[in-house]
Amino acid sequence: MLDQYATTLTFIALGAIFAYSFYAVLIAGQLSLGQAGFASLAAFSGAYLAPDRADVGDVPALLIAVAIGMSVGALAAVMLGLPTMHLRGVFLAIATLGFAEAVRVVLLNQEWTGGAQGLGVSRILTVGMAWFALALVAYWFWRMGRSRYGRALEAIREDELAARAMGIDVGRHRLAAFVTAGAVAGLYGVLYAYYVRLIAPDDFDFVAAVEGLVTAVVGGSTMFLGPLLGSGFQTIVPEVQRAVGVEAGWIRPFLASLLLLVVILFLPGGLASLLPRRTRMPSDAGDAADDRTGRSHPAAGDTVVALAGLGKEYGGVHAVRGVDLEIRAGEVVGLIGPNGAGKTTLVNMISGLVPPSSGTATVLGAEIGRTPVHRIAAAGVSRTFQHSKLFNRLSALENVLVGAHLVSRPTFLRRLLWLPSARRDEQAALRQAARCLERVGLADLAASRAEALSYGDQRRLEIARALASDPSLLILDEPAAGMNHVEAGRLSELITSLARDGLTILFIEHNVGMVLQTCTRVVVLNFGEVIASGAPGEIAADPAVIEAYLGSAEDDADGGSLAAGTAADPTAGSPDGVPPPAAVNVDPAAAGTLETPDTTRRNAP
Amino acid sequence: MRTKLYTVAAASAAALVLASCSSGDSGGGDSTAASGGLTGEGSGDSCTIEGEVPVGAVLSLTGAAASYGESQQRGLELAAAELAEQDGVTYDLTIEDDQTDPRQAITLFDEFVNDGASLVIGPTLSNAAVQADPIAQEAGVPVLGISNTAAGVTEIGDYIFRDSLTEQAVIPQTIEAATEQFGLENVVVMYSNDDAFTESGYEAFAAALEEQGVEISETITFSKSDTDFRALLTQAQESDPDAIVVSALIEAAVPLVTQARELGIDVPIIGGNGFNNPRLMADAGEAAEGVVVGAAWNSSSDNPENQAFLEAYEAEYGAQPDQFAAQAYTGLKLVDQAVRANCSAERDSIQEALGQIENVPTVLGEFSIDENRDADHPAVVQVVENGSFAVLE
Repeated sequence: MLDQYATTLTFIALGAIFAYSFYAVLIAGQLSLGQAGFASLAAFSGAYLAPDRADVGDVPALLIAVAIGMSVGALAAVMLGLPTMHLRGVFLAIATLGFAEAVRVVLLNQEWTGGAQGLGVSRILTVGMAWFALALVAYWFWRMGRSRYGRALEAIREDELAARAMGIDVGRHRLAAFVTAGAVAGLYGVLYAYYVRLIAPDDFDFVAAVEGLVTAVVGGSTMFLGPLLGSGFQTIVPEVQRAVGVEAGWIRPFLASLLLLVVILFLPGGLASLLPRRTRMPSDAGDAADDRTGRSHPAAGDTVVALAGLGKEYGGVHAVRGVDLEIRAGEVVGLIGPNGAGKTTLVNMISGLVPPSSGTATVLGAEIGRTPVHRIAAAGVSRTFQHSKLFNRLSALENVLVGAHLVSRPTFLRRLLWLPSARRDEQAALRQAARCLERVGLADLAASRAEALSYGDQRRLEIARALASDPSLLILDEPAAGMNHVEAGRLSELITSLARDGLTILFIEHNVGMVLQTCTRVVVLNFGEVIASGAPGEIAADPAVIEAYLGSAEDDADGGSLAAGTAADPTAGSPDGVPPPAAVNVDPAAAGTLETPDTTRRNAP
Repeated sequence: MRTKLYTVAAASAAALVLASCSSGDSGGGDSTAASGGLTGEGSGDSCTIEGEVPVGAVLSLTGAAASYGESQQRGLELAAAELAEQDGVTYDLTIEDDQTDPRQAITLFDEFVNDGASLVIGPTLSNAAVQADPIAQEAGVPVLGISNTAAGVTEIGDYIFRDSLTEQAVIPQTIEAATEQFGLENVVVMYSNDDAFTESGYEAFAAALEEQGVEISETITFSKSDTDFRALLTQAQESDPDAIVVSALIEAAVPLVTQARELGIDVPIIGGNGFNNPRLMADAGEAAEGVVVGAAWNSSSDNPENQAFLEAYEAEYGAQPDQFAAQAYTGLKLVDQAVRANCSAERDSIQEALGQIENVPTVLGEFSIDENRDADHPAVVQVVENGSFAVLE
């Protein structure tokens, strides 16, 4: 019974292994077609360099060839990966395709490869060996899925910038994924060679690369069984067509393509999306408290952020200029200002996403401009984004787990060996994530996909994710946008309680009432410059601030009250429930007569 | 939606299981039924075999080599139709498509071997033959290659035969005849080095030229997908050769010949097996005049088998056959010859009878299988004259 299908089964296994080499990078969001080149190099060098089966025996000969092939594949991936890892999307695809084509042409013109006529290889691979190899590869990706490394790759795929901000070294992770792809493609190349008896460079051409990619995508590139399902599908379709008696000829590839189209249209996540996806919850979320990895936070009053003459210029437009600012541990600093005042640019510089054009900045000891984003995150900076940058296809819990990247230990290699310590670490990370979800009130929605959450929940999920790294400095970019006043009120309480825990918080908000209520200090930005900085009460009374928000007195004599929130951005919540502080009602007529920035308290550089 | 998809998936999985079971059953059934009735009585024309003789053919009907596979399919089907009219032995010819994919060729050989085929014809390409033929060899199923020209294919084992002359058999005759005709002293050789067929053709040309003492002043390579040869031809022109020797598939041959004439290169162009195609005259027109082509099949031969074949093919398909069709047609006729010789379609019996084929009149001329199980029949050196192939004399 099995004998009869041995050939088909072997090709399913081989196709799946090749598809895994695409899966390995697709899961990190990389579109590469270079795997055909890796497989080709591996197949030829493995088959050429490995000792003869007569000298060492069948299995050792195959194993040696596999070892050579996987090393060659991985090495080639490093050499191709180093210069191309900064390329994205279709550009990476083109670059890697160019590599595969170059490999094909070079091998065609080598004497030792036999050129177009190919290199003869003896058949050693059996269906059992092929499936054993497949099982190992599938096991690798299965264990990777729920590890810290696997989650980091998925996070990179979903949103690279957010992944960086969570402290993930994107470059290293992408290269690691690429090298894995190279090694797996190398494995495929060698196994293929030792099954088909003759390999020619054309066996690893553009068509082969596209086929591998299609197999991985049809199967599903987000679930470890995807490549296997894809290969089963691709290999069995011609078999079924033969069995049901479709006449040989053009009609078969036509039907196969049609079927492929149907699958992609109705199952955009690939065949694997038919399988249910489990979401884990921590088994014992209750007893939490003390397994927190913890990092040492600066003592209250220590300088956390020090900006000196910081500026950012975009082609002659000064988004931020000459900002001197110091934030000390334990402060809750609100950053306000009209739209386009440069608030987001400023926090982007502080969190390392945007290099400054002038001035210097030190954040938790890291020098801004020279330090990559993930290092700044590692120093203890965590942030949310003005427009939610969640990992959309991951569950809420997984989003927060990625946030805990910096405070959890790598678990992948230990998971491969089923070490109990890996399980403990994973559980600890899960508990940390569950705690953060609970803190923002999202514990019930842990299993929901991030993209399925309501807008307000997404904002809260971002905060939970940012909290998961146990940051010293938390930067919130308009966290209350889109929240109603009840939610905004709760958010305000949350921020206050975080500050009590010793976090330093910098947040941008248009809901001025909320800022005045929550912050210990408010910094006002207009046209890229700090126009006021001080306690909430002072700011609310500052005529310069009022002018910045309402325009000059002549333009608008009937201005609203800053503190009452009527002057706030229309997207901000209603001011109800925010008790107006003391100095609320400012006479707008007085504003025009006062000098502008004198009242601003600035820290000297 | 989700439940619907589950249902669809489950249904297709069930269909798949059923389909694979039924194919398995029929496969087993065939071989048992066949083994009962594959030996008959009488010999030659009077041989009568009760059961249907299962013959599998693996051709590249789609993919890169589809143009050859289609010709072969026509040749086989024409021969099968003619054999069906003869009494005594009936053939169950199954033509399958390997999609020019070695994995498919291997799978199909495996299936034909398991399903009890008496003999397998094909596959179209030599590379696929090296990969798939060992399966039949190990199972003791005779294989008849009808287009494999690369060296070494029949060395796979004693069950592997072919009726296609190798490049090594045709090309030396071509070069010898051309050298005599045109007094060649130095030539430029051009070939596509990314195709197994044309590369082995080049090797044969190079060896033959050396044997004839003709100097190769330059060797130029190109890709089988190239269509613009002007720069290469200008380069060839510079060494002022007596002839240009080309090993290329017909897709490259047509533009190459046309562009050479456009550039005013009027020295003879000598082509290999790839040129032996009616499209050369049809597509290159005037430019094809004077092109010398070595071939396994003389399309203008007036032997009665060939005349009958040309007529029947023209009547059936309304087009001129090419060498691939002729070799395929001959192949199935040879299989019939071998089955009738021992009046048995058992695998071993066919294998033995194929090895003893000698001086059989065929479309390709007097045909024998030599001791290496390769084809042995006269090759022909043709020259294009007035829009058709004529024998170079």
